[in-house]
Amino acid sequence: MVMSAPPGATFLPRERFDALLDLLREGGRTVIGPTLRDGAVMLGEIATAADLPAGWRDVQAPGSYRLSDGNGPRLFDVVNGPQSWKQFTFPPRIPVATARREGTDSSFAPIAPDPPRLAFLGVRACELAALGVQDRVLAGGTYVDEDYRARRESSIVVAVECTRAGANCFCASMGTGPEVRSGHDLVLTEVEDGFVVSSGSPAGDRLLSRLPGPRATAAQIAAASGAVAATRAAMGDDAVAAEGLRDRLMDKLDSPRWAEVADRCLACANCTMVCPTCFCSSTDVHSDLDGTVNVAEREWDSCFNIGFAKVAGGNFRPNRSDRYRQWLTHKFATWHDQFGSSGCVGCGRCITWCPVGIDVREELAAIAPPAIPVGRIPPRPAAATTGRFDVATLREVHSETDDTKTLRLTPGDPALLGGQPGQFVMVEQPGFPAFPISCSRYGTESLFLTVRGAGPATAALINTPISGEVGLRGPLGRPWPIDRALGRDVVVVAGGIGLAPLRPLIDALIADRDRFGSILLAYGARTPGDQLFRDELISWTKAGIEVVQIVDRSGPGWTGRVGVVTNLLDQRDFTRRASVAFVVGPERMMQATTRVLRDGGIPAERIFVSLERHMECGIGLCGHCQMGPFFICKDGPVFSLTELGDLFSREGI
Amino acid sequence: MADKQLPRVGVVKMASCDGCQLTLLDLEDELVAIGQRFDLVEFPEATSSRSSGPYDVLLVEGSISTPEQLEQIVELRARTKLLVTIGACATSGGIQAMRNWSNEPEWRASVYPHPEYVDSLATATPVADHVQVDAELRGCPIDGRQLVELLTALRLGRRPQLPDEAVCNECKRKGRVCVLVASDLPCLGPVTATGCGALCPGYDRACYACFGPKDQPNVASLAQWMGGSRTPQQVDRLFAMFNGYAPAFRDAAQRAVPVMQPVPRPRRPKATTKGKAS
Repeated sequence: MVMSAPPGATFLPRERFDALLDLLREGGRTVIGPTLRDGAVMLGEIATAADLPAGWRDVQAPGSYRLSDGNGPRLFDVVNGPQSWKQFTFPPRIPVATARREGTDSSFAPIAPDPPRLAFLGVRACELAALGVQDRVLAGGTYVDEDYRARRESSIVVAVECTRAGANCFCASMGTGPEVRSGHDLVLTEVEDGFVVSSGSPAGDRLLSRLPGPRATAAQIAAASGAVAATRAAMGDDAVAAEGLRDRLMDKLDSPRWAEVADRCLACANCTMVCPTCFCSSTDVHSDLDGTVNVAEREWDSCFNIGFAKVAGGNFRPNRSDRYRQWLTHKFATWHDQFGSSGCVGCGRCITWCPVGIDVREELAAIAPPAIPVGRIPPRPAAATTGRFDVATLREVHSETDDTKTLRLTPGDPALLGGQPGQFVMVEQPGFPAFPISCSRYGTESLFLTVRGAGPATAALINTPISGEVGLRGPLGRPWPIDRALGRDVVVVAGGIGLAPLRPLIDALIADRDRFGSILLAYGARTPGDQLFRDELISWTKAGIEVVQIVDRSGPGWTGRVGVVTNLLDQRDFTRRASVAFVVGPERMMQATTRVLRDGGIPAERIFVSLERHMECGIGLCGHCQMGPFFICKDGPVFSLTELGDLFSREGI
Repeated sequence: MADKQLPRVGVVKMASCDGCQLTLLDLEDELVAIGQRFDLVEFPEATSSRSSGPYDVLLVEGSISTPEQLEQIVELRARTKLLVTIGACATSGGIQAMRNWSNEPEWRASVYPHPEYVDSLATATPVADHVQVDAELRGCPIDGRQLVELLTALRLGRRPQLPDEAVCNECKRKGRVCVLVASDLPCLGPVTATGCGALCPGYDRACYACFGPKDQPNVASLAQWMGGSRTPQQVDRLFAMFNGYAPAFRDAAQRAVPVMQPVPRPRRPKATTKGKAS
């Protein structure tokens, strides 16, 4: 028998999408896909392409989901809604058996599977992985769930590659996406005016050979893979440090964190209901009043429900902390032992649909932190290499205080303008040693550095004449994790010149003001004359930031508060919307501040500080800035308190 | 129908609106079958033939609100094998339990022209505060399917399957969009016992916990989260409803109630031209 070569990719113009639906419907199949219902994308019947959520996008944050109408033609820009395909492969409630009793006779009969013929349209890479997980759990062992197997075998799977990631997506971290690799019959990738369609199975080959449309061009195929690669880059692959997680998590069965998360967990079971791999169920028997006719119904159950582990003598998991631990350790650890993979595919549903926004990424990082910190380290430009400095030209100097100036520089290498808030550059001037300076603003053509002339090299820098040239290398280091603050209240605390590395963060918060809750900036300086960016403090207030200020010692014209920066914070309750804090200042100030923030209810993993250390290379090679397991330059300078652990408040480290 | 072999069932009420008893009468498909299998010896809502007991099963609606009811429930208990409370009033005190945190005489005077004619306790309390309760059906009103399940279980001699899980379970099984996450409605589903079939969220409404708290409800965490977009008073008032006196909701409800003060009863203007009084 001669195997025919698999057909190549076909291009399906968007206006011809119904042709694909017609093909899928042949033989009486019903096509199920994403539709808009009740303010969310839900799975429902797709009769024509008009049923798909063209132009819509979702905005997801922990505990929050909103749709926004983008008015575009694109059909699959909305990522996962609350429902997964287990709705159809493992339905929430089905009758599984009957029993009858007549006189003294009893009879029992299973209900034979009678699956509907469905085509699943719009199955994402994480969902394919989830179907694979459930295949192993429900149909891969000695005993098989016949209903599940029948539903799987009777369905066609049409995957869609993600060309956009939701804020809670972390498939790349779990190794399941965004690229579609296997488990599908057809896969579509949406490009500008249509879809690149290719096959992943013999059934898919047959469908593709009958799909009208030209062969996809090399340019179309490149555009498709480029869009998916961009999704991967935007999402990052380090939200969960999956490698070694099983062992790290099982070592932490006694972590105090289980009790902390149980204080927030509602044990409402939403996470398990929306999880595409959770498979726990219960079977209840419903009978008539005489017990003659009985129907056993299987329905989704959850390890979070108090009755789930109950026996006649008691409950094996009586506390919420027991049940949260059960879920997390099964999903991310013991699932490996039982089924050969993680139980998590990184779809992010449990984060979005938790009514109180508990984020598994955060819990895992807190309970079982990786040996090296998790964070997004952007690709480094060539200029990052030691000794290779880009030449930047000084355009403008603005005096902030007696000894501090802000320099506006235009770099030769545009990569320097692509830095993120919290990153720094190494500054080199001929004749002086290089030193690190945090960027205090990114402009479209300029980079701003705010520098205190504390030593000879920094004094030389701030005295550079206009049009003078300096060497810059960067941007370097780990930026502020702004995405962790989406949908939350934000607390920014600056001490003295510590406001400089926070200014790009404030710029970014203002640029996306609607996506954050309340924003508080608490700024402490030694004297009124030591305040940076005085004019901007007012404009930030107008932009929707609560700015509160304090000085150690009063000065002429000062009518504000006098004291230390923690005085601005210690009467506040930060628990209302699970605040996130960003703190920069002298180390003593950061210690005192973070203590007050923790007392105010912000957990350690949502308090971020930027550490200062002696740095020379900036890329983790020279050893100067090593602290415990970290190189501050490359693993930081931004860290969460959780990552630092007891290194943070320790002297002499 | 008065077969001696059939279990003798009574349905009685204390302080309540009768809605839960009506749920039994609303079971139109099952009512005949129930009537054939249970001897409804006492059910003033449905029949004028009465019985003072003894009862195999007594369904009790309403909270204990008057000295008379207090005596009555103790007597009924003594004549009953299985006492089942039906509905929020009997189970947690009901809406009328809000008076437990108020100045009851003051309220009474604000409502009734002759408060001295009203003989009520200062509190309205759940039946279980006074006598042993063997089973409870939650809800305002109760759910008919749960009532049938209870009767079926009683008849077959098994435990009734009354799930103690959050309403969210049922919302998700029914494919409903979470109104809390997607619309920021003040939904109490995550701390509320299911049994209603997740009725309100199916109509784009927030659950107001008419089935009362589920076991181990994390009220503090939900309240804190909801406080992100509401004042503490707004959050507290969510709990001051039919089950506000349930222990899990009591603190929040109690904080909310003092702000609801009685409105002094307007004095009736003295009759002049039209009145009979001279």
